[in-house]
Amino acid sequence: MPPQQCTAKLEERIMYNEKFMLVTFELVEPSTLEFKAGQYVSIQVDEAGTRRSYSIASRPDIDHGFELAIDVSPAGVGVQFLQSIPLGTEVSVLAPLGTFVIEDDPTEEAIVLVGTGSGIAPLRSIIFDLLQVKQEKRPITLHWGLRYVDSLFWENEFQDLVERFPNFHFHPVISRAVDGWTLCRGRVTDCLSTHELVPNAGYYLCGGKPMIETVVTLLTDKGIAPEHIHHEKFF
Amino acid sequence: MAEDTNTVKTVHTDDKTVQTKMVGKYKVEVIRDKCISAGSCVAIAPGVFELDEEGIAIILSQDGNDDQTKLLAAQSCPTAAVIVTDIETGQQVWPQ
Repeated sequence: MPPQQCTAKLEERIMYNEKFMLVTFELVEPSTLEFKAGQYVSIQVDEAGTRRSYSIASRPDIDHGFELAIDVSPAGVGVQFLQSIPLGTEVSVLAPLGTFVIEDDPTEEAIVLVGTGSGIAPLRSIIFDLLQVKQEKRPITLHWGLRYVDSLFWENEFQDLVERFPNFHFHPVISRAVDGWTLCRGRVTDCLSTHELVPNAGYYLCGGKPMIETVVTLLTDKGIAPEHIHHEKFF
Repeated sequence: MAEDTNTVKTVHTDDKTVQTKMVGKYKVEVIRDKCISAGSCVAIAPGVFELDEEGIAIILSQDGNDDQTKLLAAQSCPTAAVIVTDIETGQQVWPQ
């Protein structure tokens, strides 16, 4: 589906913690948006026409709007815009964009998702779409890396999915964990190295360029074929 | 927003008629050193941009998409690596 120009209205803005913010937009014109889990939107963030891209964090079947998870720490032009506009402000959106979607590949017998920071956004859309909409039965494993425990959000959502879907596995990974953190410590590569690689899986990576490059090298060194490593770099 | 100014020009020669698709009034260029392989230009205007083997955006064709789409692609670049020039006036349209 080619991207189309839409108008959307800021419906809600929630600061999860000092680093991450959720913004929810409701479509105005057209009133719905067809997209695939993993795709992103381009939003005009100033009067000159500057645009910034954000992955959609919500499910595609909820097509009357979309949610974005924003890392506010860079405080760039896009973040400043999304933090400052009043609720109800209409923005220009170009969507859907991107090819970071689950491949229809029958040879991928499992799905491993690796994200860092706000790279969790498209992965959340993918996970909820697969489990709740598509009734996916293949094993799905999520490795989500963050620097601090305090930066976690959505962990209760993912934990709830673990309890409801036996094929879903969740590994939060904290690089600067406090004493008492009993789950994975270090970087997502440490977590991937610790856990045995799922055979015949498709790997979907989303985060900063250094993480993508490190994980691709790790997976390639372990014999994963390049065609089974999919990624979306965040900038 | 700029309107699409792409047109089809019919050229008559002695023995044949040739239809030539004229490019719009916007010309795009990529500043290679500024490109960080975000790929947003390719996602928005795949007829104009592609990524080379190094992941850097290059121009595939100036008339692969209309002017408005070319401008949107440039405006989506996070590093302003895509320059848009109005070939009729010589003015740089983006970045402003």
